[in-house]
Amino acid sequence: MQAPYIQLKEIGLTYNKDQRDTIRQFSLDIKKGEFISIVGKSGCGKTSLLQMVAGMQKPNSGLITIGGHEVKEPVDELSYVFQKPILLEWKTILENVLLPLHLKRKLTKKDTNKAKEMLDRVGLTDSIHKFPYECSGGMQSRVAIVRALLDKPQILLMDEPFSALDSFTRDQLHVQLNELIDTDKPTVLFVTHDLQEAFFLSDRIILLGGEPGRILQEYQVPFTRPRQKSILFDQSFHNFQQDMNERLQS
Amino acid sequence: MKKIYLYSTLLFIFLLIMWEMIVKVKKISPLILPKPTKIAENLFTLLQSGYFTPHIFTTLVEIISGFFVGSLIGIGLGLLVAQSNTLRLVLKPYIIATQAMPKVALAPLLILWFGYGYTPKILIVALISFFPLFESMITGLLVVDKDRLALFQLLKASKWQTLWRLQLPTAIPYLLSGMRVAVVLSVVGAVVSEFIGANKGLGALIIVAQGMMDTPLLFSAFILLTVIGILLYASICTIEHLLLRKYTTYRRKKS
Repeated sequence: MQAPYIQLKEIGLTYNKDQRDTIRQFSLDIKKGEFISIVGKSGCGKTSLLQMVAGMQKPNSGLITIGGHEVKEPVDELSYVFQKPILLEWKTILENVLLPLHLKRKLTKKDTNKAKEMLDRVGLTDSIHKFPYECSGGMQSRVAIVRALLDKPQILLMDEPFSALDSFTRDQLHVQLNELIDTDKPTVLFVTHDLQEAFFLSDRIILLGGEPGRILQEYQVPFTRPRQKSILFDQSFHNFQQDMNERLQS
Repeated sequence: MKKIYLYSTLLFIFLLIMWEMIVKVKKISPLILPKPTKIAENLFTLLQSGYFTPHIFTTLVEIISGFFVGSLIGIGLGLLVAQSNTLRLVLKPYIIATQAMPKVALAPLLILWFGYGYTPKILIVALISFFPLFESMITGLLVVDKDRLALFQLLKASKWQTLWRLQLPTAIPYLLSGMRVAVVLSVVGAVVSEFIGANKGLGALIIVAQGMMDTPLLFSAFILLTVIGILLYASICTIEHLLLRKYTTYRRKKS
């Protein structure tokens, strides 16, 4: 059996202000290359969980390891996509994408070409010299994803990156995300409110809930990745979704 | 937009005509209120003869040097104070004290220490102009969105990189807005310092004109100071426009 790549062991998190446990005794093993969606209502600790894996926040109890090493601070092999695209308005789209590499080292021609190639894959070739205010929400989200994937991260953490977009743009981005991560196959931890999004993208869905936050249900999605949008009209996929929705309602 | 400018100009011309008419009809003494035509005549004659030139030059030197020194102190101190909460709390009472104290009251002391030259005037202008820049610098540096800071933390940016690549670019619009306020205050600072002790400069000229009861000269100096203030304000607006227009909707907002 494959050893877990990311391991969360009995994690507990309490915020000082109200002394209530946000997350209690939370454990999860994630395999390398796995795509996991964490679904749950607002305030159940989904974002806190991502931040702890990212090393931006320390749990009050328990242990988080990546590749067997305890997470104490942000690690190099990890990228994070926030709920908002967080683009710097004084930089062009290309410069925004290159920002992580620019902070690490002197940029090379190869870096720029790679960024241009990835922007081309998400249909932003004509916008590379535009500034963020000239781009739509969907375009900005694409830029944020390309920025996160440019340096080929081993782990990709995504915190509801498509929640502010219309359903048409979201559908497009699901397909593009699938294509982008299919090349390097990073381990993905994806937080969302949208069950259909979770069904379409993930290998495994973790339903988080309760106070304090804990795993209510865990589902393996029995369809191979990457998936095409046509699967949404497939009867077996539809039945699976319906079954999950019913279980969720109960 | 062109129509608005036209209305604005027409209003100005209308007010001047009203002024001229009232002075004429009411037979108001030119010592109290001269006619606009008389002021204009006085202004252009003295400008042509070069009488105003050394005064304009002196006041401009005081304004620009004082504004420059004030900007350096304000921006530098703002940069320093924004880096540490403790430093901010330690220095804040002193910085507020420099603003609470009336600069006019400080002017005689500065003249006593530094004489009647440029130094005390530049210092007063600097003291007046540094505060808006200091405040806007701190606000600009500390207003950075926490998600952006989190992004830089995740990208393992150093403190210097965060300051240079995130905080400072965020602070620029705030800083420029502080500069707009500071440059206008600099004109006030220069005039006030010349009131206290100077033999050159437009502020000194106002005092001389008052002593000679030369009201048209007083108005002329007043008009020149207003024009200087407007031109300096406009130059900061132009810098702001050039710096920000490419990446913001600034141009559209402005219009």
